[in-house]
Amino acid sequence: MTATAMSGSGAAARGRPGPLRRLRGGLAFYGFISPWLIGTAALTLYPVGYAVYLSFTGWNGMSPFKPWVGLSNYQEVLTSGDTLSTLSRTLVLTAIVVPVTIVGSLLLAMLLNKRMRGRAVLRTLIYIPAIVPPVAAALIWKVIFDKNSGTANRLLAVFGVHPLNWLTGGNAFIVLIVVLLWALGSGIIIDLAALQTVPAEQLEAARVDGAGPFGRFRHVILPAISPILLFQTVLTVITTLQTFIPAILLSPIGSSSMGQTTNIPQANDVYMIDVYEQFFDYSRYGYGSAMLVVFFVVIVAMTALIFKFLGRSVFYAVDPKAGKR
Amino acid sequence: MTAIKSPAGSTDTGRRDPAPVASRPPGARRLARRSPIPFGIAVVVAVVMILPFVTLIISALTPADQMGINRWLPGYLRLSNFADAVRYIPFWQLAKNSLVLSSVFGILTTFSSALTGYGFARLHGPAKNALFVLLIGTMMVPPIVTLIPTYLLFSDFHLVGTYWPWVLWGAAGTPYAIFLYRQYFSAFPKELEEAAVIDGAGKLRIFFQVFLPLSRPLLITAFVLAFNAVWGDFIGPNLFLNQSNTTLAVGVATGYENSQGYPLYNLLAGGALIYVVPVLLLFLFAQRSYVRGFATSGLK
Repeated sequence: MTATAMSGSGAAARGRPGPLRRLRGGLAFYGFISPWLIGTAALTLYPVGYAVYLSFTGWNGMSPFKPWVGLSNYQEVLTSGDTLSTLSRTLVLTAIVVPVTIVGSLLLAMLLNKRMRGRAVLRTLIYIPAIVPPVAAALIWKVIFDKNSGTANRLLAVFGVHPLNWLTGGNAFIVLIVVLLWALGSGIIIDLAALQTVPAEQLEAARVDGAGPFGRFRHVILPAISPILLFQTVLTVITTLQTFIPAILLSPIGSSSMGQTTNIPQANDVYMIDVYEQFFDYSRYGYGSAMLVVFFVVIVAMTALIFKFLGRSVFYAVDPKAGKR
Repeated sequence: MTAIKSPAGSTDTGRRDPAPVASRPPGARRLARRSPIPFGIAVVVAVVMILPFVTLIISALTPADQMGINRWLPGYLRLSNFADAVRYIPFWQLAKNSLVLSSVFGILTTFSSALTGYGFARLHGPAKNALFVLLIGTMMVPPIVTLIPTYLLFSDFHLVGTYWPWVLWGAAGTPYAIFLYRQYFSAFPKELEEAAVIDGAGKLRIFFQVFLPLSRPLLITAFVLAFNAVWGDFIGPNLFLNQSNTTLAVGVATGYENSQGYPLYNLLAGGALIYVVPVLLLFLFAQRSYVRGFATSGLK
């Protein structure tokens, strides 16, 4: 729409393409991105808008009526003890899993960046859990932590500890953390690639100036890779907040057939489980939608907080070779 | 791509570039190479990471009557557990469904994301920056937020219970993949396009004949990510498909229970193992491209 208006001012004089060419260029741009643009409008923006609309209703998912209830769903989300406790449980999970994942990934990447025998094989082995689909990861640990036949209790028996109920009660939360941390290696590939961008001359200079390994890490390596670490932190926070599959599949009995969330131990009743229950167990589509909207706001707020507090220490290097490639 | 070949000598890269050894005192290098400590730590970590698979294999081979017995290895191994696991649920039919769905989605989204990434990297149009912000913004929308409203939308069009949702999702591209492509295509030299323009090539031909052939690592990366996402998805098929056409993930996760709803752990272990194999094979096959795809575009 603004293409012609913008190109009017002396574009031709400077040898830039004329209005017609620019219009055609714009058409080409929109042509190329149209599958995504249409898809996003229909499959992301419309559903999000619809969820926002539903959050103001008391719809039960069945009736042709969608009674308008104003802000009362939101009022309930923000005051309901159940919902707030699932939210805080999810935040605790995130606060545990994210730092360990980010730091662990980086330490492993730095370790695997060293020359050693069989490095390629070791890299692959350490990375493999990160590509195991979450469904399989949850099931694998469910087998290991089963009270009667699992390896975990067998290991404890070696030390004379009686079999524990891992998948029920408060212990289930530990198992959930183990499942999520097993995929700790997911950042290794990106970290390894990032470590290759650390300027060798600077490392060398730091070494000459007498900087030890920690000094080099603090003043050379960390600044160089900080943008990638920030990006990773944000992505890991977002995915951890959405934890759902391990929580629902870990429960010992019958809960795996969907719609039966009743057997999930309270310790693993994370936010997404709560949302799922609201929709499919209680048919509270309006309330569930309000929970989703609140969840989205939480995600945006946390992303903004991370950028505010970590973004300050991120160092964006000016790449001298940027133009030449 | 040349970008992967290590910008100006790296700290300590892989075998692909035995780079700047000369600049360091030779003793330090030899010491670093010989130190057994990093190697030892790496081996320990690798063993810890792989151990769950080992115990899973043992569980998968344990006869049902010895599952609860407290010993490291069962009295005998029962290989036919795997046969039972495959028979207990319609395993191969489910696997075929998963394969079809993952491939269709993978191919469509790899291609569609490349198109969009190219548009953002090399073409110009009104509101381009705003649309790019929209792209980044949609990366933050949790899939589950859209999933249930999308379910209502698709059921209005009678698409629930069919594979059409995955076709549409695939055609719409994946924000993360689009972002990777955009970074990747941005790094291409302008001369590449200009030469093609002089030859009279249109935008589509430039895309197909110049850019796509040069982006194999990223095409493979995007496909592997998309394939694994669908192969590993549980919520989507559970919501949108029914028992007759659902995927292996759902079958394995919900099928291995006895009539009282208690899990049959040895069959579950066997089924889960076979279920994971294609993902592992695909990764091992694509590993090098995968790493390169990230190295050249996941950064900056």
